[in-house]
Amino acid sequence: MSDAFIALAVPALLLFSALFILLFGFSSYYNKNRGYYITLTTLFITFCISVNGVGDIHSAELLPQLFNAMVIYDTFSATFISLFLLGGFLSLAIAKSFIDQTNFFTHESFVLFLFSLFGMVVLTMANELLTAFIALEIASMSVYVLVGLNKESLRASEAFFKYLLLGSFSASFYLLGMMLIYAQAKSTHLNVIAAYILNHDLNSQLLIIAGGMLIIITIMFKIAALPFGAWVLDVYEGASLPITAYMATVFKIAVFAFTIRVFLKNNDLIQLVFDPLIVIGAVITMIGGSLLAVIQNSVKKMLAASSVVHSGYLMIALASIEDADSSASSAIIFYLFAYFISAIGAFGVLSYISKGTDKLISFDDLNGLGKNTPIIAVSLTIFMLSLAGFPSTIGFIGKFYIFTSAIESGYTLLALFGAITAFISIYYYFKVIVHLYFKESAYVKVEYGYRVSLAFIITAAFIVLWGGVGTSLILNIPGINELYELSKHAIQSLNF
Amino acid sequence: MNILSIIIFLPIITAVLLFFVRIPIRLIKIIYMMVTSMIAFLTLKLYISFEHHASIQFEEMHRWISEYGINYHIGVDGVSLGIVVMNAILMPLVAIALYKQRDKRGYWINLLFVQGGIMGVALSLDLMLFYLFWEIMLLPIFLMIGFFGYGNKNFITMKFNIYTIFGSLMMLISILYIAVQYKLQFGVYTFDLDKLQNLVLDSTQSILVFSGFMIAFAIKIPIFPFHTWLIDTYRSAPTGAVVVMSALMAKLGAYAIWRVLFTLLDKTSHELASYFIGIGLLGLIYFGISAMSQTHLKSMFALSSASHLSLIVVGFFIYDVYGLIGSSYLIVAHAISSAALFMMAAMLYERTKTYDISSLGGIAAVAPRFSLFFTLFALSIVGVPMTAGFVAEVLIVLGAFHYNIYIGFMTATTLLIAMLFMFKMISQVLYGKVNKATENFEDLRMHELIALIPLALLILAMGIFPNYFMQKIEPTALSYTVEKEVSYHE
Repeated sequence: MSDAFIALAVPALLLFSALFILLFGFSSYYNKNRGYYITLTTLFITFCISVNGVGDIHSAELLPQLFNAMVIYDTFSATFISLFLLGGFLSLAIAKSFIDQTNFFTHESFVLFLFSLFGMVVLTMANELLTAFIALEIASMSVYVLVGLNKESLRASEAFFKYLLLGSFSASFYLLGMMLIYAQAKSTHLNVIAAYILNHDLNSQLLIIAGGMLIIITIMFKIAALPFGAWVLDVYEGASLPITAYMATVFKIAVFAFTIRVFLKNNDLIQLVFDPLIVIGAVITMIGGSLLAVIQNSVKKMLAASSVVHSGYLMIALASIEDADSSASSAIIFYLFAYFISAIGAFGVLSYISKGTDKLISFDDLNGLGKNTPIIAVSLTIFMLSLAGFPSTIGFIGKFYIFTSAIESGYTLLALFGAITAFISIYYYFKVIVHLYFKESAYVKVEYGYRVSLAFIITAAFIVLWGGVGTSLILNIPGINELYELSKHAIQSLNF
Repeated sequence: MNILSIIIFLPIITAVLLFFVRIPIRLIKIIYMMVTSMIAFLTLKLYISFEHHASIQFEEMHRWISEYGINYHIGVDGVSLGIVVMNAILMPLVAIALYKQRDKRGYWINLLFVQGGIMGVALSLDLMLFYLFWEIMLLPIFLMIGFFGYGNKNFITMKFNIYTIFGSLMMLISILYIAVQYKLQFGVYTFDLDKLQNLVLDSTQSILVFSGFMIAFAIKIPIFPFHTWLIDTYRSAPTGAVVVMSALMAKLGAYAIWRVLFTLLDKTSHELASYFIGIGLLGLIYFGISAMSQTHLKSMFALSSASHLSLIVVGFFIYDVYGLIGSSYLIVAHAISSAALFMMAAMLYERTKTYDISSLGGIAAVAPRFSLFFTLFALSIVGVPMTAGFVAEVLIVLGAFHYNIYIGFMTATTLLIAMLFMFKMISQVLYGKVNKATENFEDLRMHELIALIPLALLILAMGIFPNYFMQKIEPTALSYTVEKEVSYHE
């Protein structure tokens, strides 16, 4: 398979199966199960295709005559596409019992799901600001609607409206920023902008700096970094659990993919001008997110708030990016993987035990779970430990990479800040464990049934553990080393 | 696979398997006994084949995260040997002493898990591995207190947990910092204790790194201002967890000072030694006096062991061969006697349903065997001749005199405080009038005797034939102090 074929096959498949479900949904053969499995199969196939591009370093512009070099297919995009196709697959797979028990997951929701993934795939391959914008908006628009899926829930409608309004508002910043950059560099192509920055001195590119600032604001909004992430609690709370998981993990990965590309292409400017901004942003995000997470009394909101904190950790790594060779950029990829597998697992457990009622799961709802269904409780414990960065889980290795790269770039204080937030996070993650095991449940034992979701939850838990201690020494399965190598290759392909 | 790896992973793997398999509690106890006895046997073998020289033995090394130079690197030397042996001996004995009381599978699974964790900390020679096990051994204790503890246990477990993890994270930053410094100086990452010794840090850097590590160790031990979690946690923890915490985990904190700080930052440790001697002495006095005023038996033991741990810290920081040997000897001696005392406190509670010292009394009259063992262990803690505690404390005091005559004097007199609170406790618990709580006090049962006799014999043997045990520690201790002498007098 040629590169171009793979690169086009993935978005095309996503798009076609979306269209297919859209039409199929009106036929009498359609039922929810079929739609679900078509979506899952599509994701699986596209994942298998995209995984082919991971590993060896390659980079090619896709049909340059046709697309005018707007899209690029390299190891970097292949890695990210595989990452969030896997994420999309898992967030659907884990939510099977939730989807079965709710009536608002109609065929349109699968369509939107696939559309949003399509947008993210294009966003990751975008090598040009306008393409990126369109892709980002395709993804965002679909996610807006997914947030409001549950038409009967007032919370969901409110969240949808809030997210739509704020999201569109923030997108306009991007447009303005892009316009300013175009005005100066006379192009929206990332390579051209990078070359322009390299060849001109800093004082003569005020417009680019202003434009970059506006674009960073949009990015910070999309990854829910404070102070632009104020929407996150309401929206994550309002969206139904699988969608929250999807937004907190997959969507974030896609935005980060584009961010890293922009950052690495325009490194000199970023380092000189924007690093302080990102450092401040990271500190505010970590502290604010921690405070938000500490005061929550619902597990879902706590996880939502803590996803803000994780954005903060990622911003530490963003700030520590010195050049394409620095370990910070591959640390981000590794951390994204670590976070997404743990968070999807955690949200998956929540949606599994919520029995489709879409209520907010409070800490007290977890009481006695350790006794009733130990397997679920242990999985949730593993995810919590991983999110808290406890050693022997993948979350720890992720934090390890991030903190090391921060110290390496001279941001020891920032790493210390990260450690302190990790320390605060112990409080709210361990609170879950306390409720799981040490508090008696007031209810009788609940049977959850052993469905597909459970299998995937357990798989995710095993991946989390394997990612923490895994070494190819014991079995012939790739360990942490290989994962890290993959993310390194992804970064190296950028200046190939 | 190396014998050390088996010692670390056999209990952990068994614990994981036991978690997934639903088998009756009796079987779990039997498996627990089998595994821990096997570990004890392996450790005995290790102890016998351990050669009398200072270098690390039974080394094993595998690549783990090669990009960052993190290896699975383990090995044993004279000091870690002590902790490994203690751990291996105590675990089956705890089970024998308590086997009638605990009918929860989680209890035994957690104990197995923590055994593996402690072995891991004691044997790691790679800082990342050390950190990993350091954190892992915390979890079972957290779960044990939460599951089987008493009183306001949810709050207390959280407090304990947050306290220790705060320390750990500070340590993590220090670890990462020195690794990055090593990369800057030598071009590659490494977390290997051996290689990191070549690192040169300026004084500010080393003081910061030192504090990062020291916060973690001080909380674990605990030394003076970091002790506020101590009493609550010990009081609400179930016996198995208390034995592990006081006899093993606290000792690991002291051991880590030796293993990590003295190896990596020996110059800074030496410069700051006088402060820690001061803090240690302060702790010795403060915890001793607080112990005197306690009426709760477990709180008293908690404070008394904190007091002796401060003594261990003093012994380490006086940088003298006597002090070092004495401290590592005290680690073992105190582990045995405090573990035994906490086990006996549990037996006492099982019979009288009270930990209140003032409501006890007259046990000597009704239960002579109990009183005999109780007194023996209490006396070993205060360091009466012929017991292991005596040898250790004499050595530390000697070392302290060698360091500075006033410090030596202080150390010697403050040890008297231990005598005061221990004798006060013994007289209140064992003598006096028999009252309602103690009149039907049952003497030690067979299984309790089986658990206590080996510990008692060990205490006596270590007190009477110290040379046999010391020859394993001595070369290691000598190697440290001799190097120090050279480097500080040049």
